Amino acid sequence: MFRNIFNLKSFVPIVVFFIVLLILPPIIPRFYTYIIAVMFVTSLLAMSLNMVLGHGGMFQFHHGAFYGVGAYTFALILTKTTLPMWVGFAAGPIVAALVGLLVGWFCVRLNRLYFGMLQISLGSLIWAIAFRWYSLTSGDDGIHGIPMPSILSSLNCSYYFILIVLAICLVGMYLIFKSPFGTTLQAIRDNPQRCEAVGVNVRRHQLAAIVIATFFAGVAGVLFVVLERSVFPDLLFWVLSLEIFIMCLLGGWFTFLGPMLGAAITVALRTFVGIYTEYWTLILGVILILLIFFLPEGVFGYFIEKFKERGTTDMLEEK
Amino acid sequence: MDIGQAFTFAALGSQFLVGLSRAMILFVVCSGMSFVLGVLRVPNIAHGSLYMIGAFSAYSIFTLFGQSSTGFWLALFLAPLVVALVSLIAERALFCHLYEREHLMLLLFTFALMLILGDLVKLIWGAEYRSIMAPPFLRGSISIFGSPFPRYNLFLLIIGPIVAIGLWLFTNKTKIGKISRAAAVDREMVGAVGINVSWVFAGAFVIGCYLAGLGGALVAPTVSVTIGMDHDIIIEAFLIVTIGGLGNMWGTLVGSLIFGLTQSFGVLFWPQFAIVFPYVAVVVILIWRPTGMLKSVW
Amino acid sequence: MLRVEAVKKSFDGFLAVNEADLLVEKGEIIAVIGPNGAGKTTLFNLITGQLKPDTGRIIFKDEDIAGVPPYEICKKGISRSFQIVNIFNRLTVFENVQVAMLSHQKKTFNLFSPAKGQVIRETKEILDNVGLSDKASKISGSLSHGDQKVLEMAIALGNRPELLILDEPTAGLSPEETSVTIDMINRLTTDLGLTILFCEHDMELVFSIAHKIMVMQQGKSIIQAPPDQVRDNREVQEAYLGGSA
Repeated sequence: MFRNIFNLKSFVPIVVFFIVLLILPPIIPRFYTYIIAVMFVTSLLAMSLNMVLGHGGMFQFHHGAFYGVGAYTFALILTKTTLPMWVGFAAGPIVAALVGLLVGWFCVRLNRLYFGMLQISLGSLIWAIAFRWYSLTSGDDGIHGIPMPSILSSLNCSYYFILIVLAICLVGMYLIFKSPFGTTLQAIRDNPQRCEAVGVNVRRHQLAAIVIATFFAGVAGVLFVVLERSVFPDLLFWVLSLEIFIMCLLGGWFTFLGPMLGAAITVALRTFVGIYTEYWTLILGVILILLIFFLPEGVFGYFIEKFKERGTTDMLEEK
Repeated sequence: MDIGQAFTFAALGSQFLVGLSRAMILFVVCSGMSFVLGVLRVPNIAHGSLYMIGAFSAYSIFTLFGQSSTGFWLALFLAPLVVALVSLIAERALFCHLYEREHLMLLLFTFALMLILGDLVKLIWGAEYRSIMAPPFLRGSISIFGSPFPRYNLFLLIIGPIVAIGLWLFTNKTKIGKISRAAAVDREMVGAVGINVSWVFAGAFVIGCYLAGLGGALVAPTVSVTIGMDHDIIIEAFLIVTIGGLGNMWGTLVGSLIFGLTQSFGVLFWPQFAIVFPYVAVVVILIWRPTGMLKSVW
Repeated sequence: MLRVEAVKKSFDGFLAVNEADLLVEKGEIIAVIGPNGAGKTTLFNLITGQLKPDTGRIIFKDEDIAGVPPYEICKKGISRSFQIVNIFNRLTVFENVQVAMLSHQKKTFNLFSPAKGQVIRETKEILDNVGLSDKASKISGSLSHGDQKVLEMAIALGNRPELLILDEPTAGLSPEETSVTIDMINRLTTDLGLTILFCEHDMELVFSIAHKIMVMQQGKSIIQAPPDQVRDNREVQEAYLGGSA
């Protein structure tokens, strides 16, 4: 079954890349290991958003809320209960997906912009609760210094842990992307009305997509806690949600790996431009405008288009 | 706080007025957003940044005139014009080239604008807290329902309806207003009868942003002017416009009232979670009426 | 097979469909004609569930389907093409038809087995049938209008319908493309045993392939009869064919 979708040609560079990522930590400075790990977490988050945004065509305006819910769930289980660690690992994504189910259940009834608006209000509601419920979440201060088991004690250990989880998630997401469900979802993105006419219950598929995407967002949230050992309300704030929205567009939201590239670029910009100037959002804004004017398909999407023109992708000839 | 005391008639009454004056500020800002949304069909995410620029400009003008009463009135008059100018430049230089593009791109452009304007404000005015004093006769409080009520808030209660009536007169009684209303409903038709739609859009955008600036200037004496005030208002504005019915001016007014009042009564009932109440109200309204309370112009 | 009885639909007080009746028997090719704005597309939208009738009944195989959502109606065996090309722009031609096929076989919730291995044979068969197999891997948005129109029909076939509804299948096509389409419609009824309901402005086409013709005017159905009877009907001549026939 795997042979069907992973052809050797595209598989080799991915494996090489993965091996490079595996051997990097001992040989590069600690700071870079940390930055790459941040890129991993952000990539997963952006790609989970893209499942509904780029592949599903839904205006998921407040995806960050589910990321935050995953992170908070994990953090609260670790700090407020005596439950074992793995319960937290499982609970983070599951709670995020449940919240996704609840939010999505209301949202899929609405069209486009109203969908986005309702989601912003529901997401903001979650943010407001986390922000104000001092006794549970420590409100504005957040929770810091969350204890991790010894297996995840060093930065390199958490790096590897995050990398492996990311790899598993990517394979899962790719399978879904290429599955009948994924194809149907993309058909819904292109033309929901026609989809209904060929017998697809659009809302139910959209809801399923939201639940799956929010599950992965929850995984990203858990990984964030593993890396940073803290949670704070900004994780749930809408500004972050818009930022990941941008990452998807930056990388190319109709592609599979594009958002990952977008996330990496954004994190790199924030980190390295941030060293020279505190006005990095200004630069992000300028880049975004350039993108809108010159690369509306995103960076990755642009390269794929180029490849198609030269006819070098075997993707098209296979069928 | 003693619960029994909290729910006295006086407390309810004064909270009502507080909410009402908050609603007026929200209405001034949101009506601008709603206007842009109605004509251009784009939720302007940079609207909050323009509101912030309005507040900062008001501060600068106020300081320039030695923090006098004249300074205050001039600030109230000039700051929105500064904002209108900024928006006109952004619209003519960049935004107007995108009208033919996908809707999402327009939305993203306004987000990019928000990022840029936010940092520009930080560059120009810095990160400190600023404040503006209202003229002496608007300072202090008067007693209403036996509890003190700031005079400036009364001033806001007068300004809000004036803006509402002014906007209504503009859209219904002037030619430009009528054209922009027609453009909101059917832009092809407006283009077909020989009106330059691009300039209609520019006009609508600038007027909407002017109102954001006016809101910023009006709010300046009641809050500390600082970076980050854009983030606070923009989501509220988004939601108000949505629950009112996209692009519907009266819907925006109703939405502002709901937002302002649920917030101020929330403070009375459950101070810790006061900020939750408006969001709950929005959720309830959108589930009850998915496309807002009044008819959307879309 | 399909019986539409006294269906009414109004938009903001405008009666788009007013007391329309229609009867479709198994194996027939039925054409609906009428001037622009007569309510043909609205009638089709009512049958396939895009719109909900205000009053009246729509009986398909002894079951009232008025107001049933489109995806349910499709599952019952009615499938349609649209007047304005309505395809999945960013998907390949193959995937366009595949989606319909997946939906027909209830595989759209299949999460982990690759779509590439699913319903290949069936999809290829349909593409062969309509003559699009050589363009199977093209992105459908980049096809010519004529090919998109054919794809439009191919998608509808992907649901293996019993009743196929075509809304102006030849609108905007060249004469050659039109004759290809006519052949195809004829072939579909004979080979696949499909029942076809379509509307069309091209009178030559209508009179050459339709078994029966239903004439609509201002939302009303005037007559439903074989072509020659329709041609001879005075009411129709006055109302619609006028001087041209």
